[in-house]
Amino acid sequence: MACIERASPALNQILLKLYSAEKPVEIDHHLYEFGSAEYHILCQACEPRVAYLSISTPPLCPGNLTSNKLSSYTIEMIKRLCPGVVEIAEARREGYQLTLRLNLTKIPRGNDYVKVIKEISTVHSVILSSQLKEILWNFNSDDAIKGMHKPIKLAYNPREPFFVIRQPPRIITVFPIRFAEKSDVIISTAFFQELVDVGSSDRYAKAPPCSWSAIPPPELIGEAFEDLSTNGGFVSFDISAHHVDGKRLDKTVWNLLNFNAYVRFHVKTTKGFIQRRMRKRLENLVEVLHHTESEHDNEQITRHYGCSCTKRLSVKSSKYNILKQRWGNLGRKLKRIHFRVKIRGFGRFRQRWLRLPKFSSSRGYTKLD
Amino acid sequence: MASTLRPYLTCIRNTLDAAMCLQNFPCQEVERHNKPEVELKSSPELLLNPVLICRNESEKCLIETSINSLRISLKVKQADELENILTKKFLRFLSMRAEAFQVLRRKPVQGYDISFLITNYHCEEMQKHKLIDFIVQFMEDIDKEISELKMSVNTRGRLVATEFLKQFI
Repeated sequence: MACIERASPALNQILLKLYSAEKPVEIDHHLYEFGSAEYHILCQACEPRVAYLSISTPPLCPGNLTSNKLSSYTIEMIKRLCPGVVEIAEARREGYQLTLRLNLTKIPRGNDYVKVIKEISTVHSVILSSQLKEILWNFNSDDAIKGMHKPIKLAYNPREPFFVIRQPPRIITVFPIRFAEKSDVIISTAFFQELVDVGSSDRYAKAPPCSWSAIPPPELIGEAFEDLSTNGGFVSFDISAHHVDGKRLDKTVWNLLNFNAYVRFHVKTTKGFIQRRMRKRLENLVEVLHHTESEHDNEQITRHYGCSCTKRLSVKSSKYNILKQRWGNLGRKLKRIHFRVKIRGFGRFRQRWLRLPKFSSSRGYTKLD
Repeated sequence: MASTLRPYLTCIRNTLDAAMCLQNFPCQEVERHNKPEVELKSSPELLLNPVLICRNESEKCLIETSINSLRISLKVKQADELENILTKKFLRFLSMRAEAFQVLRRKPVQGYDISFLITNYHCEEMQKHKLIDFIVQFMEDIDKEISELKMSVNTRGRLVATEFLKQFI
């Protein structure tokens, strides 16, 4: 699923194609992706092994006017992406926040090039993650100690904003959930109840405690009405210092950014599962009815399994059995007769023709009296 | 709960056994037409008294009989919203494929979840007691299937929730 994978699939494919091209290729692509990310990839014939990748992504925090520019922390994180291959161009392309110069000659040969290109394709997720990390990182700063309670509205997907509220010693993230269909709301509500139930168990004590409520939590009092009007309720996660320590910060950030997408994916797959199961049940129910129909004839139909390649349906009838028995007896008597005169070929005739003819064909049919 | 199921199904079975005495009866109003009188309800003399069998407030069965046709409407229990949507989805799925069942009505009677229409032709093609067995078995299977679906959806949700929270550990 593209919105949960860190690497952009389209960007990955284009860079792989560019790298693997035997002849110089000119590329000028515009890409638009989930989360309103916009890419521009330019490769000219005069510089075949150099590509320029421009990125534009809406700010994670829409209310912050200065957030259109990337922070120094974000720039630092991008520089750490394949340092030999990726450089930040001095002049960025007009309309984009950042332009990267990719030196394809410095990508290692062999199987590692796939890994390197995939890492370059994660540039959008790096930008978003670093922005959210800065917000969560400031959890330990003076601002948090002073107790700033105003919710910060973040929008990974413009139609699905979520809120981050700093309340020392924790940070609360609140996800308003909205669905177009009522059935989606009910399936998601069942999922959230399971999420709360699993989260409260001892085994997952280290995971952030989560809760669900149908009404907006008190932390969101004062927010805009359109942000608080939902049909799926509100899911809250309590992030503590433990969850943003070291390597866990990256995972926590990515999971929070993709929570909405995760829920929607689960609802979609659950509906598919229900549909598959209904189809299977339909076959079973119809089979019962067809079985009812076939029993209407009131005949004893038995199946005989003859040789492995044929099955015969034969009908038990007393007349047939009697006829078979009499013919069999006659045949045996004829076979036992010791002829004084030997007739050439008679033995074969006796074996071949003194047998009861078979009335049922190998294809199988039902003989009715 | 299970203690009321058997008497409920037995009552339905006995009522169907008495009601499923259908014979061919051409339409009295239109020449050379043969219509199920229980659907038209144009001639009161051809209709029998409808029978409503209730297990509880949410589960009931309406059996309407006429000289040449019989209509059975069922209301299935729905304990919560999830069962409600699962029941609606499943029964609508079956109703849309009514031709596979022959005796199933494409649209349920108002106020009910699913309806069957059995005519004298069905009774000629199929055995009466087997048809009744099918209807009763269908009712049991629907209840069972809805319960299993609900359990499966909750189990899936639990597994997905577990996988999501594992990423934080």
